Amino acid sequence: MSFMDTIGLGGFKGFAVTFRQIFTKKVTRKYPDEKRQKPQRFHGRHVLNRYEDGMEKCIGCELCAGVCPARCIYVRGADNPPENPVSPGERFGFVYEINMLRCIFCGLCVEACPTTAITMTQLFEMSVTDRQDAIYTKNELLVEPDGTPNHSQPAGPLIDLNELKLSDGWMRATSPAGRAAYEGIPHWPGSAGAGVRPPERGQRSDGGEV
Amino acid sequence: MADTPQPELVTITLNGVDTEVRKGQLLIDAAEQAGTYIPRFCYQNRLKPVGLCRMCLVEVEGPRGTALVPSCTQPCTEGLVVDSENAVVHKAQEGVLEFLLLNHPLDCPVCDKGGECPLQDHTVAYGPGESRFVEEKRHYEKPIEISDLVLLDRERCILCARCTRFCDEISGDSLIEFVDRGNGTQILTFFDEPFASYFSGNTVQICPVGALTAKPYRFRARPWDLEAIESISMVDSVGSKVSVQTSQNQVLRINGVDSDTTNHGWLSDKDRFTLQAIHSEDRLRVPLVRKDGELVEASWGEALELVAERLGSVRGDEVAGLGAARSTNEEAYTFAKFLRSVVVTPHMDAQLDDALSDEFLAATLNRAEINDLETAGTILVWAGDLKEELPVLYLRVRRAATILGATLIVIHPRRTGLSDVADHVFTYRPGEGADTLRRLKAGDGPFAEARQALDSGPVMTIVGRTGGAEDPRLAESVAAFARTLPDAAIMPLARRANVYGALDMGVSADLLPGRVSVRDTEGRTALEDAWGPLPEGRGKHATEILQGLKSGDLKALITLGADPVGNHPQPALAGEAVESAEFVVSLDTLLNATSARADVVLPVAGFGESEGTATNLEGRVQKLNRIIPPPGQARTTWSVLDDLARRMGATLGAHDAETIMKEIASIAPAYAGIDWALLDWGEGRDGVVLPGPDGTQPLQHMPVETSVTATTGRFTLHLGRVLYDNADVVRNSPSLDVLVQPASAAFHPRDLAVLAVQPGDSVRLAGDYGTVELAVRADESLAEGTVYVQANMDNSRALGASLIVQVDAVRGEGS
Ligand code: SF4
Ligand code: SF4
Ligand code: SF4
Ligand code: FES
Repeated sequence: MSFMDTIGLGGFKGFAVTFRQIFTKKVTRKYPDEKRQKPQRFHGRHVLNRYEDGMEKCIGCELCAGVCPARCIYVRGADNPPENPVSPGERFGFVYEINMLRCIFCGLCVEACPTTAITMTQLFEMSVTDRQDAIYTKNELLVEPDGTPNHSQPAGPLIDLNELKLSDGWMRATSPAGRAAYEGIPHWPGSAGAGVRPPERGQRSDGGEV
Repeated sequence: MADTPQPELVTITLNGVDTEVRKGQLLIDAAEQAGTYIPRFCYQNRLKPVGLCRMCLVEVEGPRGTALVPSCTQPCTEGLVVDSENAVVHKAQEGVLEFLLLNHPLDCPVCDKGGECPLQDHTVAYGPGESRFVEEKRHYEKPIEISDLVLLDRERCILCARCTRFCDEISGDSLIEFVDRGNGTQILTFFDEPFASYFSGNTVQICPVGALTAKPYRFRARPWDLEAIESISMVDSVGSKVSVQTSQNQVLRINGVDSDTTNHGWLSDKDRFTLQAIHSEDRLRVPLVRKDGELVEASWGEALELVAERLGSVRGDEVAGLGAARSTNEEAYTFAKFLRSVVVTPHMDAQLDDALSDEFLAATLNRAEINDLETAGTILVWAGDLKEELPVLYLRVRRAATILGATLIVIHPRRTGLSDVADHVFTYRPGEGADTLRRLKAGDGPFAEARQALDSGPVMTIVGRTGGAEDPRLAESVAAFARTLPDAAIMPLARRANVYGALDMGVSADLLPGRVSVRDTEGRTALEDAWGPLPEGRGKHATEILQGLKSGDLKALITLGADPVGNHPQPALAGEAVESAEFVVSLDTLLNATSARADVVLPVAGFGESEGTATNLEGRVQKLNRIIPPPGQARTTWSVLDDLARRMGATLGAHDAETIMKEIASIAPAYAGIDWALLDWGEGRDGVVLPGPDGTQPLQHMPVETSVTATTGRFTLHLGRVLYDNADVVRNSPSLDVLVQPASAAFHPRDLAVLAVQPGDSVRLAGDYGTVELAVRADESLAEGTVYVQANMDNSRALGASLIVQVDAVRGEGS
């Protein structure tokens, strides 16, 4: 039996797909040397923001923990020391931990936060060699007073800490009753480092109708 | 218990459906019973309705057409036609909420109430959904401390007056009030007077918004973090129903649960805030064994082996047991069984000879229930200051006197918390109680009117020891008199949480389980069938036990949650007894004055950590539940005792607490038929009152001639309790510990003149059991010749409880 008999005409038909692909543009990237531009609302690692004056935004209200479908956030509030307040108001986030192994990066915590304290960034390279390291505490999550983010691992080919500065700050921008006139009013207080974020598509910074 | 008359029914039409309701019942309650919840803010079922907030508006048909009326002030009458759900009502509800929210801050994320807030819930359910208010809201200084326990945020207050009404109607501590008018109306305390009420926590619980917050709970958790379980407060013997709320295995909040039979939902701040002691850093976590004079950590095996060996090396009747008054019935039963059938000793006492006799407490005839207060015509309180000792019972008595109109007679050596609302108040010198009783019986002079009131029943009598130095037989004489009164109901008082239960379980020198006297041969034989041979005869009481230890007749002591050194009326004796005992083992949650001197300390589970039942002062058995594990290696008391028994070559058969209850029910006659399922789910959810005894009761009457005559410098001592004393649970609750005031010596002003001292000076008090120096205070309500000292304080404990004390002014250099 010859070779042609073995593979038959069907064989050529099958390889036709392969041959066709050889001449199209490649989609594979040389990750991590080459990284893709991520969409603006990419759901990456969380950061805890500060106001422009350096005050922490988190008030320890636990709404993120309450809404989290993976139950991976642990927050506890405490009385703000009056002489040296951590956040504006009476209460601040005393403990803040996210277990990144459990997080499904749904972004509900960001949506629930009444003060835009927690937002998601573009960084997703978070592999660890110890389960314990996957629990991000306030030390890693909270940005420095000037807005510089913290990360538990050093910057390297995989980790571009600049990605931690690209937090989208997206949050609920509709009225609870769904009244159309409220659609598109972003309530974004300025953040240390990032300042006031520009309005996204469909939003106006002055809160008026688009 | 008095039987309730059949209520008259009327038919109302609620949202088109005819419903039978009680005549005169408030519409808001009737609707709720019929399954229609009407939103509300100011209405609280235990407070008088005021119709302040207007959230409960419903449309009612009247002779002149329909009208919106507040359902919380509308009584039900025949043919009432009500609509609670139509468009008019909804418009009104939206309007009320919009008004309430005009000035309400957007604090929900940082507000303790957020998540369980009626204002949030009602706004979502009945509110307009959108705010039209763009102006600046009214501002006040954020939370102000109105007491050491409570903070007030006036911005959040919706002026429902629940808190002020509670203080006026229920607790009588009218310390907060509305001030100013109109937009500026706010709740405030009076000048310089903090909201220092023993009941302040209740206002936090009933405030429908987050205006009042409790410091110990503030920001500790959010409602959705909390797991809750119903249980019984183990702070005192009222058996108040509580909800124990935890997060991450920490008890963070205790709230009152409305129980018709006991607390009506109210708690004292001690019930509420001693939860801090559960998580005290000083909680015992590992067994401790004394080595070279020091208590050092040991393994359970090592500690229990040592105890078994030491207890086994002495004769059974050389061992004595004290305590179990703060344990569950199951634990107390195991303790009694361990002592009587494994150690084989008759010497045990649940009390420290600081209240009433065991037999009187366990088997008073005509035993009263708390609810007898609701129907009583006359109430006689001849006991300690209820507000200080049993605050929730005080609330119930106060309610009977002020709201239900009972005639209240209070007899105590000084003015008490109830004096303000009492119709007749009598004070007397301790020691002259028998004489006072004689005069009351005879209706002598000032007692005439009170005597007359005692003839119109039903008469409820609350008897207890008014102070630590008083003869306990007085209360029994009072009870004997009270039994002759019409429809008599008698409540004998003791304070420790489950002392009644411990006595019922037979932790007593005189009683076997089930209120059977040790002299009752029939009961004794029945018990021997179950437990095996029992020690002969009557055992020793606490004081006799301590004397026995001191003299060497007794060799070893087991304490279970008891502190004789800190609490016995003769502190020096207790100290010496524990010192001279060959072997002392303490089962406890915290190290106290006694366990600190013990040879072995075994950590046991406490409140919220073990499951079981408790019997309150009316003989009501209720269920205690477990919600957190005990700390460290601490174990439940019954399992420790069971383990110990096995190491001593016996068996208690205690495998779990529920089985122990089954055994109790089969052995203790009074507890027949009680099981956990009944208390958890069945008709016993509010507890089951044990059947009272019948037959006759041996009462020890106080001889009339014990009155003392005053000689110079010799005073009779009134050793009264205060709510916040130096008890271990208070010491370990930082929020309450700051409220403790050191003890002082109070005299009538004329006695101060005789002694030539001023308030603030020091006096030395020397009694039979010890001597202390205290600052002097004036108290006009005391009889002359009496000195009043607060009991159980670090600076008064050494005095002990002797009736007569010698008083001498201490002259410093300056005077
Ligand atoms: S992104 Fe989703 S899963 Fe992750 S922490 Fe937030 S709410 Fe939880
Ligand atoms: S009281 Fe209720 S509505 Fe007001 S801030 Fe608190 S949670 Fe929100
Ligand atoms: S403080 Fe609370 S309970 Fe008191 S009036 Fe205001 S809202 Fe009502
Ligand atoms: S609940 Fe009826 S007026 Fe407030």
